[in-house]
Amino acid sequence: MQLLKSTIANDVIFEGLAQGADFVDVFIERTHNDSMVFKNSRAEDIQSGTIFGVGIRLIYGEQSLYGYTNSIDREELLRITKLLGARIGKPGTPKTLNFEKLQYPVIPTLNDKEVDAKAKLAYLKKIDDRLRQDSKVSQVMLSFTKKKQLIEIYNSDGLFATEERPYIRLFHQLVMKDGDLQSEAFHGPGAIGGWEFVEKLNVEENCENLIKQATTTLYAAPCPGGKMPVVIDNGFGGVIFHEACGHLLETTSVEKKASVFWDKMGEQIAHTSVTALDDGTVPGAWGSLSIDDEGMPTQKTTLVENGILKRFISDRIGEMKTGHKRTGSGRRQSYKFAPASRMRNTYIAAGPHEFSDLITSVPNGIYAKKMGGGSVDPSTGQFNFSVQEAYLIENGKITRPVKGATLIGTGPEIMSRISMVGKNLELMAGMCGSVSGSIPTTVGQPALKVDEILVGGNA
Amino acid sequence: MKNVMEKVLNQVVDKNAEADLMFSSSRSLKMSSQKGAISTFNVAGTQILGIRVIKDGRVGLSYTEAMDDESLSLMVSKALQNAETTVQNHDEKILNISGSISDELSLPEAEVDLALKTARAIELETEVRKLDPRVTSTPYNSYSEQDYLSHYLSTKGRFTTYKDKSYSVVSSAVMDEKGKKSSYYDFHTAHVYKDLNFKKVIDTAFFHAKNLLDEKALPTGKYNVRFTEDSLKSLIDCFSNFYSAKSAMDKMNPWASNIGEQVISKDLSITDHPTFERSFRTSKFDSEGVERKPLELIKDGVLKSLYHNSVTATHFKTQTTGHASRSATSPLGVYGTDLLIQGKNVKPLPDKYLEVIQMDGLYSGANRVTGDFSVAIKGYVWEYGKVVSTFGNITMSGKLMDMLKNVEVVGSEMKASTDESFFSVPLIFHGISVAGT
Repeated sequence: MQLLKSTIANDVIFEGLAQGADFVDVFIERTHNDSMVFKNSRAEDIQSGTIFGVGIRLIYGEQSLYGYTNSIDREELLRITKLLGARIGKPGTPKTLNFEKLQYPVIPTLNDKEVDAKAKLAYLKKIDDRLRQDSKVSQVMLSFTKKKQLIEIYNSDGLFATEERPYIRLFHQLVMKDGDLQSEAFHGPGAIGGWEFVEKLNVEENCENLIKQATTTLYAAPCPGGKMPVVIDNGFGGVIFHEACGHLLETTSVEKKASVFWDKMGEQIAHTSVTALDDGTVPGAWGSLSIDDEGMPTQKTTLVENGILKRFISDRIGEMKTGHKRTGSGRRQSYKFAPASRMRNTYIAAGPHEFSDLITSVPNGIYAKKMGGGSVDPSTGQFNFSVQEAYLIENGKITRPVKGATLIGTGPEIMSRISMVGKNLELMAGMCGSVSGSIPTTVGQPALKVDEILVGGNA
Repeated sequence: MKNVMEKVLNQVVDKNAEADLMFSSSRSLKMSSQKGAISTFNVAGTQILGIRVIKDGRVGLSYTEAMDDESLSLMVSKALQNAETTVQNHDEKILNISGSISDELSLPEAEVDLALKTARAIELETEVRKLDPRVTSTPYNSYSEQDYLSHYLSTKGRFTTYKDKSYSVVSSAVMDEKGKKSSYYDFHTAHVYKDLNFKKVIDTAFFHAKNLLDEKALPTGKYNVRFTEDSLKSLIDCFSNFYSAKSAMDKMNPWASNIGEQVISKDLSITDHPTFERSFRTSKFDSEGVERKPLELIKDGVLKSLYHNSVTATHFKTQTTGHASRSATSPLGVYGTDLLIQGKNVKPLPDKYLEVIQMDGLYSGANRVTGDFSVAIKGYVWEYGKVVSTFGNITMSGKLMDMLKNVEVVGSEMKASTDESFFSVPLIFHGISVAGT
């Protein structure tokens, strides 16, 4: 069943063109959300909900006008379109469209298997029981979220595209206490798919890792501060590339010259050992899409090859403003946001080195086993990241755990200081917040050695 | 809307359950400019209704943005279905209060032409660029206005209305001098268009961006630190779980068992004030329809109370403090209103200290259970009453509870954060760890 009749979409686009717009698109979304929070060893909050609405975009030259509403009433949609068009106030040439449904290669996803609430509860209880076997565990918070997003896109080029995207994520948070000492550990795997993704997770291994991480942090000494070499482990370590470089390669920043890389196309922006990709086509991955939110089939985009900047992450507006071709990267949280150029599954490609080579090459430094979150100012490239689990490297060996480490620097600096890239590429699910809202993205990398980063600590 | 809400609640009562509803709607306009012309122009109108159903002591939640009869009935049935899966929790009830109450702000104002609003919105970009050729862009600039309405209705007959209109402007400056870059942004919010201070945001963004072009890292060590009101608010907000009885129930509040004990300096008192006369907006009732009044959280360093809703109050055998929070899409929690930090035993400013004007990565670098944090900071070095240099590219780390014990009050007048929701006397924190060169 279509969310919006094509005749109404046609009328809206016709009106937009009559208002002088060069391009019009209509984005319709119906998303069902289900979530379950398991805390204090019981299901505390079980919630369901429906997000539904329509976003209308009129593009005049490089200017984007956007409106949205919960209504699919023809008159309300026309009212919004006229309201947007009135801002420019120029006559246009409307045309009636014969929408042609877009055929595109569908990215393989896991099946959207569903199970009843009791099965989900039993699964969460199993994790809770396992984690609480450790007497130092004072709290376990588990949350399971399931989202099924159905989108439709019509535009004035005659495109009609639709996609159904099932998302699933299981978030673990563990609190450990021993006297006055407290620590936390997190893990949040996610995928495009259904319950079968959860069934494939290794509960025992995940629980062991969480307990190890919390225990390590609980008794860790404060991290020393200062500039030093850092080995950043695989998986969520890729958040550094995501924040320190990825955001700076989005045309959203490039078009405003608000990125330090805006004029560096074809130049060496990273060490020759670094090749980085933004790939929307990884089967089942949390950040994958078959089409983007502008109706363009997604693609695998090489951003940096052997340290040389090859492509920006671009959407329709980005292409118009910068000339860099669209990459199937127009994304948004919901109909409440106009699309913007955003990352999908972004990672540094695997290199030639064994993990042990990286560690032995560091006389004194930090091994950042698990990264926390961070942020970046695209205009200056300055970033900061917390490290959830860290160890000292002394004389080429991993020695004592340390806590409270933060890494700060700039994107260009760190990219030029990655001197060794490991073989062990791993991807991890996360959420990315930016101009078009919070969207699922994947970060990833193999283990990396960065020759020097400023480490914030308190020892 | 009240009629629609009543119809929904009747469906719940027919199923021998009780419930409350949260409705919110907004209409908004936002525009930003690039190269001296409007580049984005957004208009929006949305609404959402959320339900909390309690049946046989079990709670279920659901929400919808579609308001047709079928969607509303589906919302009710989903909430009832969700309630069947939860365990019984007799602490959670729909409060037995009735009657209507409202908190509506409607200030008289003259109609402002859209063309004028547009022209002034463009100035948020162009005027910054005019100030200095080293300004390369103003990536964050916008004018926005919003009409907001929310209602609460319960099966016990409690009905609340909150209505607000607000305008806001944002400007920023990115500067470049020989490859060295800096940036800063500022904002202002008002209830009436003519009260918007365009000049202040333009000048503030430019002033700090210009100064930060000269930022230098400081040597690693211990420093005296003073925060701007905005920075201090960010830091205190990040650890708002310290005041939360909900976090105490969840074993995520390190002050959970410290009521009646001294937890911070004896020179400080902290009050949650929902109707403070200098605040941007009052908050006269909470999300369970309970009327609010000022709450003394800390008096002379001693923890006096936590934020409670009816569930946490029942759990801890006390009274709700009127701090229930819930939106259409979220479960019942607790949250504070505006904070006032007052102090005594005013000391003179130290000869040398750092003034922190910007913190980056606070939420990712903070451990809310322990109070530890590590954050990138920028600001000014003060010596003998004057700014002598600008710092950046350094991190500050510490433990909030320890910092609040080792603090001195250096002024008696409370100053407001930019959003006028946080007020504090000037404070100096001693011996803060900084990692730099």
